[in-house]
Amino acid sequence: MATEKRIALEVNGRRHELSVASNQTLLDLLRELGYVDVKCGCEKADCGACAVLMDGEAVDSCIVLAAMADGRRVTTVTGLGTPEKPHPLQAAFIENGATQCGYCIPGMIVAAKALLDRHPEPTDAEMRFGLSGNLCRCTGYTRIFSAIREAAGALKAKGARP
Amino acid sequence: MLPEFDLVEPRTLGDALKVMAEDGGKTAPLAGGTNVLVDLRTRRAAYDRLISLQHLSELRGLGAANGQIILGARTTLSDLVYDRRIGEAAPGLAAAARVFAGAMVRNVATIAGNVCSASPAADLVPSLMTLGAEVVLQSTVGERVVPLDQFYPGVHQTVRRNNELVTSFRWARRPERSAQNFYKLALRKGDAIAVTSVAVLLGAERGTCTIARIALGAVAPTVMRVPEAERILVGGVLTDAVIEKAASIAAEACRPIDDIRASAEYRCHAVGVLVRRLVGQAWQNIC
Amino acid sequence: MSDTVLTAPAGVNIPEFRQVGKPLPRTDAPGKTFGRTVYAGDIVMPNMLYAKVLRSTAASLTIKKVDASRARALPGVHAVLTAWDLPDRLVQTDIPGQTGQRSLNAAQPILVKDHVRFSGEALALVAAESLAIAEAALLLIDVESEPFPGVYDPFEAMKPEAPVVFGENNVIKTYKIRKGDAAKGFAEADLIVENTFHTQVQEQAFLEPEAGIAWVDENDVINIRVSTQVVEHFRAVADALGVPHNRVQVKSMFVGGGFGGKENITVELYLALLARATRRPVRLVFTREESFVAHGKRHPFTIRHRTGVKRDGTIVAAEADLTSDAGAYATLSPYILLYATIAAMGPYRVADLKFDSRTVATNNQPNDAFRGFGTMQACVAHEQQMDEIAKALKLDPIELRRRNFIRRGEKNSTGQTIESEVWSSRCVEAAWEALGPRASNRGSVRVGRGVACYQQSYGRISWFRDTCEAWVGIELDGTVIVRTAVTDIGAGQSSAVAQIAGEVLGVPLKEIVTYFGDTALNPLAGTSTASRALFMTGNAVKLAATAVRENLLGRAAKHFGLPVESLDIANSTVFVVNDPARTLPLPELAKMCATEGIHRNNLAIYRAPTSTGLDPETGQGRVFADFTYGAHAAEVEVDVETGEITVLKSVGAHDVGQAINRAAVEGQIEGSALMGQGFALSEEMKFREGRTLTTSLSEYLIPTAEDAPEIKAIVFESRSGFGPFGAKGIGEPAYAPVAASIANAVADAIGVRIHDLPITSEKVVRALRRAKTA
Repeated sequence: MATEKRIALEVNGRRHELSVASNQTLLDLLRELGYVDVKCGCEKADCGACAVLMDGEAVDSCIVLAAMADGRRVTTVTGLGTPEKPHPLQAAFIENGATQCGYCIPGMIVAAKALLDRHPEPTDAEMRFGLSGNLCRCTGYTRIFSAIREAAGALKAKGARP
Repeated sequence: MLPEFDLVEPRTLGDALKVMAEDGGKTAPLAGGTNVLVDLRTRRAAYDRLISLQHLSELRGLGAANGQIILGARTTLSDLVYDRRIGEAAPGLAAAARVFAGAMVRNVATIAGNVCSASPAADLVPSLMTLGAEVVLQSTVGERVVPLDQFYPGVHQTVRRNNELVTSFRWARRPERSAQNFYKLALRKGDAIAVTSVAVLLGAERGTCTIARIALGAVAPTVMRVPEAERILVGGVLTDAVIEKAASIAAEACRPIDDIRASAEYRCHAVGVLVRRLVGQAWQNIC
Repeated sequence: MSDTVLTAPAGVNIPEFRQVGKPLPRTDAPGKTFGRTVYAGDIVMPNMLYAKVLRSTAASLTIKKVDASRARALPGVHAVLTAWDLPDRLVQTDIPGQTGQRSLNAAQPILVKDHVRFSGEALALVAAESLAIAEAALLLIDVESEPFPGVYDPFEAMKPEAPVVFGENNVIKTYKIRKGDAAKGFAEADLIVENTFHTQVQEQAFLEPEAGIAWVDENDVINIRVSTQVVEHFRAVADALGVPHNRVQVKSMFVGGGFGGKENITVELYLALLARATRRPVRLVFTREESFVAHGKRHPFTIRHRTGVKRDGTIVAAEADLTSDAGAYATLSPYILLYATIAAMGPYRVADLKFDSRTVATNNQPNDAFRGFGTMQACVAHEQQMDEIAKALKLDPIELRRRNFIRRGEKNSTGQTIESEVWSSRCVEAAWEALGPRASNRGSVRVGRGVACYQQSYGRISWFRDTCEAWVGIELDGTVIVRTAVTDIGAGQSSAVAQIAGEVLGVPLKEIVTYFGDTALNPLAGTSTASRALFMTGNAVKLAATAVRENLLGRAAKHFGLPVESLDIANSTVFVVNDPARTLPLPELAKMCATEGIHRNNLAIYRAPTSTGLDPETGQGRVFADFTYGAHAAEVEVDVETGEITVLKSVGAHDVGQAINRAAVEGQIEGSALMGQGFALSEEMKFREGRTLTTSLSEYLIPTAEDAPEIKAIVFESRSGFGPFGAKGIGEPAYAPVAASIANAVADAIGVRIHDLPITSEKVVRALRRAKTA
């Protein structure tokens, strides 16, 4: 039997209190709440399309139970920036033509954010390692790498934490 | 979609063990979910109840006591990658973590999850085995310690009892003059299941090999040590000929199968090459 | 990371483009980057039901009964459809085209009634209140079946005793091409080289699994929002349902990757059936596992080449024999076979040739369209053959190719005259040079390099009489609307056509919106397949925009009292070329036109060059509008002990005619480099008795960020193509030579040829061992 649980979580700065079934994943919950920028690609943590930040750490939301997100702070790509106030990664992805079909991009940018949090100036190897769980079928990653390098530079110039 | 199950979220280890002791149907501890939830969704496994270890933060991280290194069961793969002290204590383990899955999975997957998957291809097990690691199991009735090389009675089986929780791994601090390394051969560079993996730990004193441990992954129903090969390395200087001999013993000893990733024949060949290389490199590091 | 070399053919005047050719940020990029783009599976409607498909897990069965009564009785289930609930209609999987003509009777059942022909074939459809109920209902459908003998290899399937899957003997289609006198050519050859190559089944592995939603509206129109490359399937859906064509509307959302895998019908028909049965909105999203078994994949080919050459490398005779495994239904297999057969000669000239080919039905999953469409499999074979010839003649592989490249004005294998530039030589030279200093061997690591060249068509087969329509209009505030039902599958189709309209109308890209992918509200553009979208839709948009420009400038000329030729438009302002201070803002001009009833919009049609077909005996005739030429070069290192291969550098150099969006073009080349690397080294669908063994992205291995080499894109612009501003197609061409170049690099590294892809570490070890004992 599935058990129900009351949880409270924060998504992109907005608080949600609701009841979830034990077998509901965070991915399902987020999409049900309207955060459809979190994409579903495989439901088994093979592709990274559903990556979100949970208390700042990148996770595949398809293998996190919604119940276990109780009390956590979740950030999706929508929460990172807007056209008016883009995150440097978002600006660089647009500027570098890093987006093709775009389906991997929300997860990719989330993973890139976590990467730059850990390595503000990532080496090539660190960058590849940090994106190893995010599959992209369109770009060959070339422009994704350039965008991340550029964003790292922009963040450094601003002296800001990513 | 995930099938239905009960979710229990104990706040303390004591509570967790109590829940484990109750009869709640088929139960699995849940940490990173990278095995349990995937198996549930793909219907490779069915559970009535999952016990979340999320709140048991005492089970995470590196410690030491009585000359032993203790690694909490809930230590994540990312911890293994980024915690320098783990890299120093067990370089082969850190190396295995670096080729394990992708970044998001490493953030949540735990050492106990990988060990308890009991997959012959589990990335961490060969390195842990060469460390001589023991598995610490706890239940409401007490603690039980099982050497990792006796932990697996068969493929996808462990000796963990239903009321027990793996709480830590421990092993004797490796000697000053020792080296550990690991290599995974896979069909792509990122996020791939091992075709075969090899871990080696060597120790030396005054130019003589004093410790030799070799463990092989994905070439038998369980990760296996190769005592025959280890024996011929201990007690002497490791010449190319001796190393070559150990490598060919290892290649002969493994019992792989053909599967979608590779043939048994190729796996044996790869074991020979990798054992020779890893033993040679480890030896160079310490002599 | 990219160079652009602009060299115009002599005598061509190069206008200064304001937008075309620039690497402008695409119009679709912000939505995708800020998480605002709505994909088909993101749409929710009130009262929506969730659909699931019951599929066979065995590949060959006789169905006795499908009993859905228990499933129908489950609370929350609104419809369960089996073959018995559907009229005996089939769905046409043949190319629907825009002409209503079909060249093959390749229909297949919507749901299986009597005979399961492949693992994954659909047996029943469910619509329910929730996904959980729909999944539960699937388990309550009782299927009674008996095993039926199956056949899983095309060569077995051609034997007289083989079980029949298709037609009378499983051979779906054959082609032959005859030119000159092959026997005479071989007799004159100094050397004959013969090799057989094999390619595997490849999965498109787009990141977005198939998805869609459908409902029936107040006018009895079935509305479908779907992730598809081809909205024109609305006709096939209507025919399959037995409703008029004008009662089905298909709108393609931004597609999360297609690569040919969303060229055929995916969820549309199931959704239409369930929406009609329930009168409620129904959503269907495939799981990844389902996606792996639901759509057609790349055909495996066995290709034998026999080539006669002179000592100086001149090819004097060519014989090729191609066999592809079509799987259980014909789908597009005949056309893919045709592409492969024509491409078997590569970008080379030969007077005497003899090619034979066939595509054969088996009980494997149907194979279907995939980027390259037979040409890339052909390229894997002909480019390895070229390297083997070079080796036998002790000639430099690039020099051998240079001596044989077809030239503009010459005739290719089917006798079609090449009308555009052929810059194969400069492409292969540039790609090779861009590899830079060669890495060196060390320990057990051997470094190798390889190149590959190709001839790939863009645009559909000429006798399909392909057309494309587009509408361009200017609003009263000077903003521009482009309306065309082209689908945007991620290559930037909607953005590129906006850029073209902007170039013509002198309006910045941000002032233009493209409404795409809607069969009811937009003029039909044809498919985003066959590297045709930019070529066809770009031309139609350019025609429409040019007509609007003429109307606008006609009115502006009156305003200035000057001839039209003395005016130009830039930055939404008309100006006098010789006196740029004299201006007229476009919004003002648009209002003038509106007041006077001057047309501010235009609906244009572009018609591709046509032909009547091939001579059935000789295979001679025009098949395509035109071809793209280029080359790929790769450097690899191979560990000769473990067999592990690392691609170090990967360079694509292509004459794209004219880049419309530079960044998008380079993106196609870069993405191709890695997808082709996957095909060469790690990607392979595996089956046992037709049953799919690789149904996840952890078993089917596409390259990750850690597998990506240093990738470089080199763009040449001959401005000689049939597309807008002289553009050629690039989406598929960029992919065609990649795997072959890597295969050649591996052979160069280890000195042994591995004839079947993918080149796994195991195959390397085995090949080296065989070479040692031989």
